[in-house]
Amino acid sequence: MSSQYAVEMINIHKTFPGGVYANQGVTLKVKRGEVHGLLGENGAGKTTLMNILYGLLNRDKGEIIINGEHVEFESPTDAISKGIGMVHQHFKLIPPLTVVENVVLGSEPIFGRTFGRGIIGKIMRALMPIDIKMAVEKIIQIAEENGLHIDPYAKVQDLSVGLQQRIEIIKTLYRKADILILDEPTSVLTPQEVDELFETLKEFRKAGKTIILITHKLRETMALCDRITVLRDGKLIGTVERDNTSPEDLAQMMVGRPVVFMVDKGISSPGDVVLKVQDLHVKDYRGLESVKGISFEVKAGEIFGVAGVEGNGQTELVEAITGLRKPTDGVIIIDEVDVTSKSPRFVREVGMSHIPEDRQKMGLILAFTIKENLILGRHYRPPFANGPKNMLLNLDRINEISDDLVSKFSIKTSSSDAFAETLSGGNQQKVVVARELAVAPKLIVAAQPTRGLDVGATEFIRNTLIKMRNAGSAILLVSAELDEVRNLSDRIGVIYDGKIVAIRGPDATPEELGLLMAGHVQGVD
Amino acid sequence: MNASELSDAQKSGIGQRIENWILGLAKKVTDPSYRKQFIWSFASIVLALLVSSLIMLIAGYDPGLAYVYLAIGAFSRMDLVLYYATPLILTGLSVALAFKCGLFNIGAEGQLYIGSMAAALMGYLIALPIVIHPLACLAIGAIAGGLWGFVPGLLKAYRGAHEVVTTMMLSYTAILLTGWLVSSNGPFWDGSMVPRTPPLLDTALLPPLWGYSLHTGLILSIIAVFAVDFLINRTVLGYEMRAVGLNPDAAEYGGINSKRNIAIAMGLSGGLSGLAGSEEIMGTYGKFVANWSPGLGWDGITVAVLGNNSPWGVLAAAIFFGGLRAGGNTMHQVVGVPIEMVSVIQGLVVLFVAAPRIINWLVDNGNTIFKSMKEDPFEPSINLVSSILGLAILMLGLGMITSLYSLPSFTWINAATALVYVLVAILGVMIFIVYWSKRPDAGWFMLLAAVLWTIAGVLEIIGAGMSALTSFILAIFTFVLWLADRLIGRLLVTKKEDDIE
Repeated sequence: MSSQYAVEMINIHKTFPGGVYANQGVTLKVKRGEVHGLLGENGAGKTTLMNILYGLLNRDKGEIIINGEHVEFESPTDAISKGIGMVHQHFKLIPPLTVVENVVLGSEPIFGRTFGRGIIGKIMRALMPIDIKMAVEKIIQIAEENGLHIDPYAKVQDLSVGLQQRIEIIKTLYRKADILILDEPTSVLTPQEVDELFETLKEFRKAGKTIILITHKLRETMALCDRITVLRDGKLIGTVERDNTSPEDLAQMMVGRPVVFMVDKGISSPGDVVLKVQDLHVKDYRGLESVKGISFEVKAGEIFGVAGVEGNGQTELVEAITGLRKPTDGVIIIDEVDVTSKSPRFVREVGMSHIPEDRQKMGLILAFTIKENLILGRHYRPPFANGPKNMLLNLDRINEISDDLVSKFSIKTSSSDAFAETLSGGNQQKVVVARELAVAPKLIVAAQPTRGLDVGATEFIRNTLIKMRNAGSAILLVSAELDEVRNLSDRIGVIYDGKIVAIRGPDATPEELGLLMAGHVQGVD
Repeated sequence: MNASELSDAQKSGIGQRIENWILGLAKKVTDPSYRKQFIWSFASIVLALLVSSLIMLIAGYDPGLAYVYLAIGAFSRMDLVLYYATPLILTGLSVALAFKCGLFNIGAEGQLYIGSMAAALMGYLIALPIVIHPLACLAIGAIAGGLWGFVPGLLKAYRGAHEVVTTMMLSYTAILLTGWLVSSNGPFWDGSMVPRTPPLLDTALLPPLWGYSLHTGLILSIIAVFAVDFLINRTVLGYEMRAVGLNPDAAEYGGINSKRNIAIAMGLSGGLSGLAGSEEIMGTYGKFVANWSPGLGWDGITVAVLGNNSPWGVLAAAIFFGGLRAGGNTMHQVVGVPIEMVSVIQGLVVLFVAAPRIINWLVDNGNTIFKSMKEDPFEPSINLVSSILGLAILMLGLGMITSLYSLPSFTWINAATALVYVLVAILGVMIFIVYWSKRPDAGWFMLLAAVLWTIAGVLEIIGAGMSALTSFILAIFTFVLWLADRLIGRLLVTKKEDDIE
């Protein structure tokens, strides 16, 4: 315990099969009792480094020292036993189970003695009933000590995202973690929830716990962290004190060049109405009405932003407009054609392009090549198809056009024959954007277009959207990131509980929009 | 002059195309993921043969001799190999095509029966001129099989009925229905003792190609490989099917009608199976006989799995299985191993292909053992020797059991001895596993083996068995290895401590 560092990772190397360097000689030293920011663009190797620390991945080379002690982790169980806890970006919870069941999962307290670590102990532990009451008491104790209030008997599926994250934190505390790793913890939270989380983390710091915060958001880093380590392309760029740096410096370290935060988009000159939505009602996959009477218009040459906390009907609104979900009531008109309840192909033929919110689940076929992904949605008609009744793929033209798109949108890949799954997140999104914007669409529906992307790719995609606006496309932008909506939009509609509760200009303050997003309509109006 | 220039241009165009095609093929073959797939398939085959040899040992056959005659049988009768492969290519393609669209067509057998029945009816009820007649029979067989696959496709697409259930049920329906049609109560019975149709007209038969049994159906099967490859990779329909199979959400997002594609894929898949049935009836049987198929449709599933659902892989896998069948005959005649052994091998191959983690585990641990051998030869070589000894113990244990069979009287002592050998054999597998994965507590298994061998030796003496000496030798051998493991372990620990000091 002589060392002042809680975690020392020295000269870590990790190469993934296929020769991708995730970490090249990274050294990370985290002092006991500090909040340490691990900053970098997507694909910089932050999560890989932390997965190595947490025992999820093996390193190729390097040393790990926890509290002055050399360690070898074969699995997260080993890491947990050394007091390391990790809250993943995507929560590892089982929605139908209760809070307490989720918390104890994997280390269930059982009646009676522990029966040792051998095979008999394993069998007995599997057979003995779980002492839920004891677990509940412990959870309540943890909750009270740390101000993480929660109902232990509530089912996870009924809880908000913020509370689910709280369960993940309680889970680590339940396992007696004093080194906490948080992977992009704010990406799913409302501004208010982010503030709450930060308060909790500050409490932890006071209590002497060590926190490692993985993030690519500069505002958070500056608000919370004591020291910051920046990674780029799997390499260590440097570790700096918060007080000796600025967001601009950090951004430059992350990207390797100066970054402009505000996009200069110029004044919009709206033309005719392209998208008209009238009194739209849509049910979600559970059969519950999640869009409850939305009406709005988007004009040519204008970006209409929809701001809101996720899960307030945005997904269903987008799916209804793009033809993926049939609305129960209402009318959708694109370019004077009624597209209500029409097929996705019909809506696309009218001139709609769609950047979906989940590029891996919907926007791309990961096991297809880049080429094959670049023709999706237009593959059935010339120039991509030819022959009798356009039944054959025109491979020559597909090659030409996709090579052209790859260079035009600077998609980083060895060849357009590479599989989409080999690309980084930013380049995957570029493939989607290239495909959707290559046809000069009349209407672009962009849902969370920069989610999970690094600064460089975000900048690129935002600029592309503005270019499309200036060229006369109508753009419906749905985003959970308030900054993005404010930066890009000419008009902002705030969605709450399936309704557009207010439409504001781009000069609306974040505080006002934040309150509207949280449902405080009366107070503002 | 213009004309010659044009033809030159055309030629270079075609030359270019062929060159591109060959380059593409070369690229595909050298692709790491393709190579990995190939290694997997090959390793699966080797593993399956190893495990099968254990089974043969238990049953009292000589696996070495069996495999030699299996190989001789396969290579000396290439015509038979291709003959067995002919229908398997088509049923394999059938399953693979459905799989490309994300569907498990388990009912290739039923589609094959319906197709063959339709082809037989066309072949003996309607008179048509040569060439036209077989083509008509094949067409009608493919259509009938296609419809039999199209129905579950429609049910899946528009009613959500799972295709595994519906195709399998329709399979039994097809087999029983065709059986009834040619039974003595059915309309198409030929009046003989056997439930079958009258023979096909001569004009409807597929002419022989080479040797006794190989018929022109082979050419059709190979054309089908090209056709399916073209369909999957070069047409809009194939693109859409693959998209639906790989990511239905993205396909729908891209404006692809997944329902339509599912129905069509199942229809085409059924058509290929129907074609396989028609070919067999027209090329081999000459008439429809109830229950004629030796499970060609079911084997199609295994062929598709081994061929990784790619048309060319299916072709190779079908020829491999054809080789097993052809060689199996020779193996049966010369060594006396039952022909069913071929099905065992086939099943094991698919088991290992479908469970790539087994092979990954073997390869990964083998790699670490050989890598650490360079740094420090003691420990890994103990692991290696012990793993091999584990396998040897398994073989010997099984061999001992068979040697007990041959004793004139089988007393309870001998039964107990056999039981100990079974335990020893199981222990052999475990020794291999624990040493191969370098578990720290592996030594105890070795000690237990030494004890068991000693018990076996004592029992052999009491029961007047013949292998007491072998057992004692092995007991000593395992004991020494356990000791060596412990001793070297101790030495290494002290050595490391010295180093630190």
